[in-house]
This record gives sequence, C-alpha cells and structure tokens, in this order.
Amino acid sequence: MRATSLYEALLRCYPSAFRDEYGSQMRLMFAEQLDAARRTGRRLEQAAIWMRAAADTLIVAPREHGHVIAQDLRYAVRMMAAAPGFALVAIVSLALGIGANTAIFSLWNGVLHAPLPSVQKPEQLVMLTDPSQSGSWTGRMDFRSDGFRPWLTYDEFEDLRQHADLFSALMASQSGLSTWDVRVDGGDWEEARGRLVSDGFFQMLGVGSAIGRVFTATDNCVASPCAVISHTYWQRRFGGRPDVLGKSLAVRRGTVVIIGVAPRGFIGESAGQQPDVWLPLHTQPIMLPGVDRLHDTPPNKVMWLQVFGRLKPGVTPAQAESQANAIFQAGLEPFYGAYATGDRRNDYLDQRLQLHSGARGASASRAELSESLTALLVAVGVLLLIACANLANLLLARGAARRPEIALRVSLGASRSRIMRQLITESVTLAALGGVAALAVAYMLHRVLVAMLAQSDSRFEIGFTVDPRVLGFVVMATLAAALLFGVLPAWQATQADLGSTLKEQNRGSTGSLRQMRSGRALVSLQLAMSLPLLVGAGLLARTVYNLQTVDLGFPADRMMMTRIDLREAGYEGARRDGMLRDLQGAFQRTPGVRAASFSQLGIFSGGESSTTIDVEGYTPKSNKDRSSARDVVGPNYFTTLGVPITLGRDIVDSDRAEGPTVCVVNEAFAKLFFEGRNPLGMRITALDDGRQRISYQVVGVAKNARTQTLRSEIPPRYFVAALQQVSQMRSPTFLIRTSAVPSTVAATVRRTIERADAGLPILSVSSVESEMFPLTAQDRTTAQLAVAFGCVALALAAIGLYGVLSYGIARRTSEIAVRIALGAERRRVVSMILGETAFLVGVGLVCGGGLAYLATRLIGSRLYGVAPEDPVTMVSATAILLVVAFGAAYLPARRASRLDPVVALRHA
Amino acid sequence: MDDPKPDALLPLPPAVFHILIALADRDRHGYSIMQDVAARTNGKVQLSAGTLYSSIRRMLEQGLIEELRESPDPSSTDERRRYYALTRFGRRVAAAEVERLNALVQQARATGLVRSS
Repeated sequence: MRATSLYEALLRCYPSAFRDEYGSQMRLMFAEQLDAARRTGRRLEQAAIWMRAAADTLIVAPREHGHVIAQDLRYAVRMMAAAPGFALVAIVSLALGIGANTAIFSLWNGVLHAPLPSVQKPEQLVMLTDPSQSGSWTGRMDFRSDGFRPWLTYDEFEDLRQHADLFSALMASQSGLSTWDVRVDGGDWEEARGRLVSDGFFQMLGVGSAIGRVFTATDNCVASPCAVISHTYWQRRFGGRPDVLGKSLAVRRGTVVIIGVAPRGFIGESAGQQPDVWLPLHTQPIMLPGVDRLHDTPPNKVMWLQVFGRLKPGVTPAQAESQANAIFQAGLEPFYGAYATGDRRNDYLDQRLQLHSGARGASASRAELSESLTALLVAVGVLLLIACANLANLLLARGAARRPEIALRVSLGASRSRIMRQLITESVTLAALGGVAALAVAYMLHRVLVAMLAQSDSRFEIGFTVDPRVLGFVVMATLAAALLFGVLPAWQATQADLGSTLKEQNRGSTGSLRQMRSGRALVSLQLAMSLPLLVGAGLLARTVYNLQTVDLGFPADRMMMTRIDLREAGYEGARRDGMLRDLQGAFQRTPGVRAASFSQLGIFSGGESSTTIDVEGYTPKSNKDRSSARDVVGPNYFTTLGVPITLGRDIVDSDRAEGPTVCVVNEAFAKLFFEGRNPLGMRITALDDGRQRISYQVVGVAKNARTQTLRSEIPPRYFVAALQQVSQMRSPTFLIRTSAVPSTVAATVRRTIERADAGLPILSVSSVESEMFPLTAQDRTTAQLAVAFGCVALALAAIGLYGVLSYGIARRTSEIAVRIALGAERRRVVSMILGETAFLVGVGLVCGGGLAYLATRLIGSRLYGVAPEDPVTMVSATAILLVVAFGAAYLPARRASRLDPVVALRHA
Repeated sequence: MDDPKPDALLPLPPAVFHILIALADRDRHGYSIMQDVAARTNGKVQLSAGTLYSSIRRMLEQGLIEELRESPDPSSTDERRRYYALTRFGRRVAAAEVERLNALVQQARATGLVRSS
C-alpha cells in the first residue's frame, strides 16, 4: 500500500539499530492512528497525522543518530585506551602526515591565492603594470618587454591619475623594496626596508592608521617628509610605544618624521614582503638619490612604478584598459618627438598597458615558487597516502585480533553494518585527534619552510594563517585519511566467516586469505608510490648539484666584491676616474690580493644593462639583434676575473679618455654578430643612454662567463672601458682576486676604502660564493624536502613490507614448520619468502614506473642539466628501492628459516 | 548495580513524564500510551511514534521502565505488541518530578505570580 511504503521511507531516516528494535511497533502504531482517523472520516486529521510523522522524523531521527555516534565515540575511546601504543602510533603518523600537507598547502595558498591582507575589498583591485615584475629600468624603452610595460614612469602615472576617469582611484608604488640606512634618535646606523608610494596609496587601499595618521594628497610635508611605519616594525623596533609618533628617522641625506603606524597585518601592495616604512614619492631625491625619477628627459624614461587602481561601478576591465592605453599612448609621441621617426618609430610607439587583477598583489617570485610548491604538495600528498596504507595494514592486523570480539557481538544480535559503522567511527576519531595535532605540526613546519625559502629572498615573509581554505583542507585531509585507512579493514573485519572464528579461538594466529591479499596489495601500492618520490628527489638533487657546480667560465672561489657609492659621496667626472684608479691601485697593493678591477654590474647582483647597437657589416634580422647586453669595466677586468681572452687583449690601463674608444666582446656576441668574421678591428656603434652615439673598436674576444644568472643562457655582451665613459659608474663593484679565503681580506678592504675617503659609503662587502648561494636556495630547499619525503616514504614502505611479511609468516607457522620438519633446507624457506617478496616488489615497480614518468613531468621545468627521463636516476632509485625492500624482507625470512618445528607445531 | 539518584534525571522531558503517568495505573503497549496521553490532555499532546519510541529507548536505558516478556492482557490475541511497565525506580523519579513541579507552583503562588485557587 502506498501509505506503508511512504512511512517506510520515513523510517529509513532512523539508525538501523533503532529501526530493527522499534520499527515494527512504529509501523503498527502509525497504521492504527491512520485507521482511527479514517474511521472518523475527517481528512484533515489524516493529513495532520502525516505532518506530525514527518516533523517527528526530522527532529527525532538526527537525535537518535547522535545517540549512536556518542555510543560509538565512547566505545572508540575505550578501544584506544585499551591499545594506547597503537593509538599513539596512529595519531602521531596522522599528525605528521596531515600536518606536513597542511603546512605546504597553507604556503601554496598564501603564495597563489590569498588576497592582500588588511586591504579593503582586494578583489576590486586592478594593476596597470605587470604583477610579476619587480625592479626598474632606465632608458628609451624596455627592451625585454613584448610591448607590454612592466612599470610606469612618474609622469605617465600622473597623466593617468588626472585623466583616466573610468578609475575611481589610482595609486603608484615603487616596484621592489629598498634597504636604507637609518638612524633612530641619533643611535647607530641600522637597516630599514621600505618603498616610496604615491599620496593616495593608503586611501586607495582603504587602509587607515593604527595610531597617528597616514599621508594624504593634501599633506605638505616637504620640509620634513612624513613616513608611515608598519605595525611589525613598530612592535619590533619601537616596542609598540605610542611615543613613536613624531620621532625622526635620519637617513643618509636627510630626515623623515614618523606620522603614523599602519594597521596590524598590513603589508602593502606586494605579497610576500613586509616593508618597515612607507614614504611619499616626492622624497625620492633624498631616499633614492641619483637619477631623477620624477621627471623624464626625452628620450629616456625612468620606469620604476607599479600602478594599482579601482574601477568605477559598472566599468568593465576591458573599457578601463582601453582608456588607460589611449591616455598612455597619446603621451608617447609628444615625449619622444624627433627620436621616434623613420623606421625607429614603431619601436618607440609600440608600447602598451595591460590590465591585470590586483587582488593578490604584486609578486615577482609567485610563478617560480608556485611550481616548486605544487610539486611539493603532490609529494607530501603521496606521503600521506603511503602513511595511510601503513595504518590500514595495522588496522587489518588488529581486525584479525578482534575477530572473536566482533563475532560475539554479531552472535548477540548486532548487525554487520552497525559494527562497521562503529569501526569507522574509531578510524574517524583517530583521524580527528591526528588532525587537531596536525595544526600544531603545520604551524611549526610552516615556519621552517618560510625560513628555508627566505634564504633565496631575505624579504620573503608569509604568516601562517588558518583561513577558511586551509581549515577546509585540514578537515578534508583528515576525513580522506580516515576513509582511506579505515574502510577496508572495517569492511574486511565484518565480512569474515565469523562462525568458524569462534571455533578457531585457540589458534595462536588467525587470519583470512582475503586479508593477506589486501595487505600485500597495499604494500605493492606503497612501493609503487615511493618510486616517483625517490626519482623526483634524485632529479632535484642532481639539479642542485649541477647548479652549484655549473661552469661559470671563471673561478668563483677567492673572489671578493665590494660596492661603493661614488655618486652619493659627490664624485663626478675626472674626480671619479681618479678615485677609481686610486682604489684599484690601493687594492692591488694590498697583501693577500692577486689582482683587482671593477665593473658596473658586478657579479650576480641581479642587475642588467643593455643598449641598442649597430655592428659593422651586420644587418639585424629582427628586433632581438638590434641590442646587446653590456657592462662597463675597469682595466684588467678579465684578467682579474680569470676569464680567458681568446683573441686580442683585455681592457688595459692605457685605454683612457684621450685614446680611441675600445671594447671587448664575449664569444656569444662574436658568434651572433660577426658570424665567423674576425671581430678584431670591427666597429660597434652604441646608442648610449646619454645622448650620443659612440663608436667602439673591438680589441678583444673573451670566453663566455656566467656573471649574472645561473640558469639562463649567457647573452651576447660587449664590455667598454670605464675610464672612457663619461657617465655611468655611480656605484661600481670592485672585484678583488685574493690568494687566501676572501673573508680574511674583508677587513683590509674596508680599511683601504676608508683610508682613501672615510665618507665613501660602502654598500656591500661579500664574496662571489656568498652571492651565488642564495640563487640556488629555492632549488636546494625543494631538493632537501623531496629527499626527506623520499626517505620517509621508503621507510614507511619498508615498515609496511616488514609487517605484512611477518604477519604472513606468523599465519603460516604450521605450514613452514611442517616443511622444515620434512627436510626442507632453511635456505629454501628463505628463498621461498624472498620469491614472494619479489612478486610484490615487481608489481610495485611496474606501477611505480608509470607514476614516476608522470611525476617527472610535474617538475620538468625546475630541472637543470638533467632530463626528466634520465635513466641513471631511474635506475638508481629502483636499485635503492630493491635494496631496502629486500632488506626489510630478509629479517622475517630469516626468522622463518630459524623456526624450530617442534616448538612451532606444539603451539599450533 | 546501584540505581542513580532520582534527582540526577530531573527535570524530566515532558514526553517522558507523560509516559510515566500513562504507565502508572497499568502496563501498556506503545499505541495505548499514545491514546492515554491524548485522552488525558484532551488532544493537546499527541505523541508521535518517533518521539514515543525514542523516549522509551532512553527510559529503558535509564531504568525508568522495563519491557514485559508476556502480554499482561491474557485475552489479547496480538502477539506483535510489546508491553512496558513502570519500575520502582521509575515511580521514585516520577514522584521526585511531581515534588519539583509542586515546589515551583507553590513559589509562583507565594510571589503572587498566580493567584491561589
């Protein structure tokens, strides 16, 4: 009857145990109620009975389920207390596994997804510059771009701010963080990091001040420039005291006054960086002295600002981008004027702006970091799977031990589904406890990871925030883990033939064939998942090794570098040349120094310089060969560096302003522009970023040297003599080849500079090796973590294998004992067991090989000098796996062979 | 096993109290309890099957009622029905609840919240 089947559906909402116990009574009662109502003839009453039944179910069914869950939880806690060792192992493994996953996920989330913190409605922010570029460029146009501008100039920003009315607000901030020497209250010089920002910076981001105020467009702090400090800096440096307002920060060329503190958690517009101080753009002359960044003189532009905006309501990004481009491009032609004529016209005018989302802020390291983090997330996820497989095996074994208990409960009337529900509750409880502990583990691991990543970028900083996504991840990971390791054992424990179990009570070891097979399948899976981790770790480790031993083209050890600020100290023209020569001579005379020279770019400084050139007898085929990288160097640069000259000569002392202008080119340059011709004597004409065309005669060809980046190809480069240049060399880097370890000469180098001029600011003193080290930090971190994960995975798989084999042997004690008693050699027993192991491992390797192939695709872009399919790494990883697997199998096998058949059979 | 103190179970949920009252004069099965409660409250309290048996389950666990092995009604042909009876502990708990309610009523009268009838 329809009524009964409908009521059946309502009954289904109750727990099965409740249904089994009271279902028949409830059906009876409901039928009688309905009958009685039908007899009175009132339809309304029948409807009322149905409504009441439905409402009743809605309220009571969840309550009953809650009661069952509470029962199961109490039982689960009792079971855990009864086997505390197992519970501890389970909870610790889960805490470590889920915690590691959460730490890396939190980092991944913070880098890739998290919006700018403490900013109003970050999802509305847009950028007119490139979020992934950090730095600045001075010159006619940006050679590297594909037409899209990475940064804007001050004039261009002002132009947009005044005329782009589709934006409700626009602000500009210095791209890249500066490190300044500051003095607080006349104390010692210390370092502070910060950037210059436009007046509307704080308003546009919707940010007030924690104490004091922020600067606005109407501020007239020209006399004593205003500074806003960050909350972190306020706490760290000023102890969070309110008397910081009005304090002066002295910088090298002036003083700034602190007028306010930014809110807690506010880091500005760039993700992953924590500035200490923000200053208005117009303080540029004292904070970033040198080139005038606030006014451009044609044809050169100083591109140094990143620009953020908010759109007016109803304005689409496409419309805003169009208007911005129209205004931007309209300003180009009047600026370049006569320069943008003829066939160069397109080069100058083909510049565009592109609108990007600004919700996550600007970040130069985002793309690179996200690749590494994604690979790590996958690796650590695999690790959790392997750990869950071990737990599942443990539970399977425990399930076997608890079969008498379960059999008893079934015989007393418990349904299989009820018992399975209770077993799964046990798993979920374990997982939940592990999940809670995982948060603590995640916090600690997160700090370690951030510290490791900060080795490559000392400004990198991301806090551990438990935002909804991270919390959701922990919950999901915990549930997934519980299901992964809980369901199979629970199902198996309740499926077994329980009747025979009760009879088998006296046997020392019980177990079913199905259980054995599940255990072995899990172990094969563990081995299969360990192989990709090992291969990945091997490839990353080799990448780090390759990067650290890459042939630089010159010896990197025993090379000291020091960078000084000549412009700051007021050296110009001939006085500058004189100081350069004096210092070079002084260094050369220093004991412990074999040679000394200087250059504009330095080594691994992160900078670059290039100009347009015209090479004699070469017709450019595309835009790329109209320019070349260059460096401005002192006499004996190549000799000092140790780079061989293959043709001609080095730049020497006699190359002075009075003589012919000369240059040396590297092999890449010669190959590209001279294509087999003899470069010596040829002329190169460069469009200096001054206003002139200078013609250089090639006097030498040097071998390629890796002086700026580790990974990319060495670009064609020409080197001109510093003493023949009019401008340049604001802050040259002196290169000092030492005979002993560089650190021993450091103090002497400082004294030498101070003796030459005590007021000369020393920007840095370091060695080439220490400058190189941070370049590989991210790769090293990734490799270290991958190796750690690989080792842990292997250990877990070995433990799993050991466990399954021991268990299997324990189960087959009688069989083995009989074999031995009948004369089987002990060796045959060992080989029998090892043979079974070989099958397990073989299956694991085959599956693992496929997974490894996929895994290496994932990290392909991070590799250097080694192919993803590198056979040596594959074979080594496989070999390690085999050794460990057979090592783990050997112990149980040996134990089996040592069985005393008499003792074993007596106990059987 | 010692019975817990009656006071530990107070205050009783209304459905539980109604069931205790219904079982006070004679042992009943579920439908009979529901009918009795409805009759006594003039139809104001209608216990649905879910609430009834959920309460019965709890009351069995707490020892307030017990299930009878045989039908108390020898003339009943219905073997499907399950009958419940008050335990001594159940009577004590019911008495304690009545005392509690009485005390409340007296306090209400004493403060003038309601007039003494």
